[in-house]
Amino acid sequence: MANPILAISDLAKSFGGFIALDGVSLELQEGEVVGLVGPNGSGKTTLINVVSGLYAPSRGTVTLGGRPLHGGPPHRVVRSGMNRTFQVPKSLGTLTVGENLRVASAHGAQRRTLEGDPLELVGLAGLERRFANSLNASQQKRLDLARALVTAPQVLLVDELGAGLSPAELDDAAGVLRKLAAAGIALLVVEHLMGFLAKVTSRVLVLNAGQQIFQGSLEEAVRDPQVVQVFLGG
Amino acid sequence: MLLEYAIVAGVLFGIFYAYLAIGLNLTFGALRIVNLAHGDLVMLGSYLAFELYYAWHWSPLLAIVVAIIPAILVGGAVYLGVAPRLARASDPEMMSLVLFFGVSQIIEALATFGFGSNQRSISSSAFGKHPLAFLGQSYPVMWAVVAATSVPVLLILFAYLSRTKLGRATRAVMASPDEAAAVGINVRRISALTFGIGVALAVGAGSLAIFMLGGVTPTEGVSITVVSFAVIVIGGLGNTLGTVVGGLVFGLASQLTLTFEPNWAALVPYVLLLAVVLIRPSGILSRTSRLA
Amino acid sequence: MPRLARLRRLGGKANGASGPVVGRISKPASVAAIVVPAAGFVVANIFYPNQQELVMMMVYLVMAQGINVIYGFTGYLPFGYAGFFGAGAYGLALSVMYLHVPAELGVVFAIVAAVVVAMLLSPLLRLDGVYFAIASLAATEALYVVISNPSLTAITKGPYGVNLIAVYNSNASFIAAVALVIVAMAVAVYLRSSRFGLALRAIRNDAVSAEYAGLRVVQHRAAAWLISAALAGAAGGIFAWYTSTFYPDAVFDTSISIFAIVFALFGGVGTVWGPALGAVILFGIYNAVGISEPQYFQLIYGVLIVLLVLFLPGGLAGLARHLVAGFNRIRGGAGRSASPLGPRTGDG
Repeated sequence: MANPILAISDLAKSFGGFIALDGVSLELQEGEVVGLVGPNGSGKTTLINVVSGLYAPSRGTVTLGGRPLHGGPPHRVVRSGMNRTFQVPKSLGTLTVGENLRVASAHGAQRRTLEGDPLELVGLAGLERRFANSLNASQQKRLDLARALVTAPQVLLVDELGAGLSPAELDDAAGVLRKLAAAGIALLVVEHLMGFLAKVTSRVLVLNAGQQIFQGSLEEAVRDPQVVQVFLGG
Repeated sequence: MLLEYAIVAGVLFGIFYAYLAIGLNLTFGALRIVNLAHGDLVMLGSYLAFELYYAWHWSPLLAIVVAIIPAILVGGAVYLGVAPRLARASDPEMMSLVLFFGVSQIIEALATFGFGSNQRSISSSAFGKHPLAFLGQSYPVMWAVVAATSVPVLLILFAYLSRTKLGRATRAVMASPDEAAAVGINVRRISALTFGIGVALAVGAGSLAIFMLGGVTPTEGVSITVVSFAVIVIGGLGNTLGTVVGGLVFGLASQLTLTFEPNWAALVPYVLLLAVVLIRPSGILSRTSRLA
Repeated sequence: MPRLARLRRLGGKANGASGPVVGRISKPASVAAIVVPAAGFVVANIFYPNQQELVMMMVYLVMAQGINVIYGFTGYLPFGYAGFFGAGAYGLALSVMYLHVPAELGVVFAIVAAVVVAMLLSPLLRLDGVYFAIASLAATEALYVVISNPSLTAITKGPYGVNLIAVYNSNASFIAAVALVIVAMAVAVYLRSSRFGLALRAIRNDAVSAEYAGLRVVQHRAAAWLISAALAGAAGGIFAWYTSTFYPDAVFDTSISIFAIVFALFGGVGTVWGPALGAVILFGIYNAVGISEPQYFQLIYGVLIVLLVLFLPGGLAGLARHLVAGFNRIRGGAGRSASPLGPRTGDG
């Protein structure tokens, strides 16, 4: 097997006395998709925040393409080839859609990983001149994704892309993620919607209370007693 | 002894500073509104005390009581008038800062029209002529009066916040307006009342400020606001008990420098404020401290 | 908010190919913005007898543009902005007094002094808006206490002020002020149309998001901070040169910060012309009513601030944008069905 593009090893994060993340390890190959699931407050978004350099880890390492990241800052992580989206989209509201992308391509892009127009890909073609704060929530999420893509990531951390989307939009979103994976981008996808996740990957990492309780295929996960306990008992 | 004198003075001034600043902490902690007109309200309180004493021959301290009802009514009305517009701004906290800065300028200008720009003061003999003796030193009798006034006011405020239904509701709003609303608290009404109480405390503190600051001028508002901000930042924003600690730290630091390095005493509020915001940032920096 | 968004959208549509309503400005407009104010002051100097008033107006125009740089483009509002002005004034004064440099070179020292102060204060940029505003005021007051301190009279002349009568030259310092106006307007144009300005606007929108667009947020903010300080420092230096004698409280006065902030807000921050117009209009009114009775002017701008915050947060520029958008809505509404751009830029 080739060297992993992203290697997370024994990652931990505590805030004051609260342990939000404890000993998570994961390897991702180019073009591989892993779903990150778990109940609310289990540490999914914290994991993304630590891996993407927003928070420094309390323990453990993140290695991107063989080079350790030493916990941020985010702009350096982005320039090294990893980006993320946000659960609540963070558009640059008073900038136009085009300017949103222009900022990212001017400062974040190191090399191209994708062919074609990112706006086309996420379904925002033709909206370049619109102000980002005039977009609806689903469009803002897609803009978030497009902005991340413009920085040419090799690894993309996707935080709840599916939440709040209509069934048709969910299909589109799943299609987009499959396209990204096919282009060689490794994806870590936080998702509550299992049906959506099943469309993009068969491999999941399950977190509960900051700990990794399962890693493997989706089919095994639904039969794993601990996972079942967490999801049905909680 | 110089040192003993400075320490006693520091503690007494500290209690006074806590009273001076606590209204600002209440409005900022509970409402996230930075009342930059705080110092100007203190200034108005000083003029009120002055007028009570010389025009009506009342005790200047009665200003504390006289101010309560009008301050709550006017403060509450102002809050209800501006809060909805502030809430719609992209950065309400910052806009409140600018807004009340404008209010501060209006009050200062009107006070200059009304009271003239000369300093006014009340003779400290209003409270008796004999200095107080304590541990072999003599101190102005006014200091004892200030302590004997500030301590009960602060205790009443704490009792209000911890023992009464309205006070507990106020603390709930301080902790989280959304959750307070979710348990059925009328956040809007509590907020208006709290703002009014903050105004009443500021005006009341003015009755002591005219003595402790050696008089009153219409332009003193800004520096009182800065001192109050230093005190509440030292003690922790939104932490009303912390304001007492902040007041004491500030009082001691300024009295000690005033005693031993008088030329540099004016630096104390600024240096303390800067040191606290930069060095002890807990609760002071924004949530995304790394990026902000 | 939704109403505003709709107006902007329609405005963008009516503008068609020339780009969104708020965006880059054209080359002729840039040149005009840089040249016209300076030319105006030169012409005014021929006809208007009170040169000092014109110099003060230019100084405040530059200060308002400096506030524009740091507040309009990054969201940091320095209540202690006068600190850079004072640092500049003393930078020029001390370099002229002790190094015996010509005043023109003294302006460079003024800029350096202000930039050094800004670098020392750059940790303040870690603070949130309100804390930053108050902390910058505290820092300026601290600087004032140090400079005006009787203990330092041997170096700074302490509270007794400085005298630069030896280098006094009203025409040369007037020309320097005009040159500085050109620089300040050019800075505003640059921020409005450059990649750097776009980056600052992105950061102001959302710092975390901007970081993930690959932006070095801290460095960009620091750069804006230093540019803003340099403008105020130069303004302070030229003020010192023109007046030639001053007391420390005249150059560290909080009302200098207040004026600069009010002028900028009144005109509209984040724009090229707003702060310049705000300074010219309000300082003009100040000269008409304020100098003999400063409280009247204080009352006027106090009321103005309150009205601006409550009813016109975008200042004059915001008002103009509303009017233009309203006009375009009428025009765009009539031509809607005929416009081929209509359906494409509509809700997706």
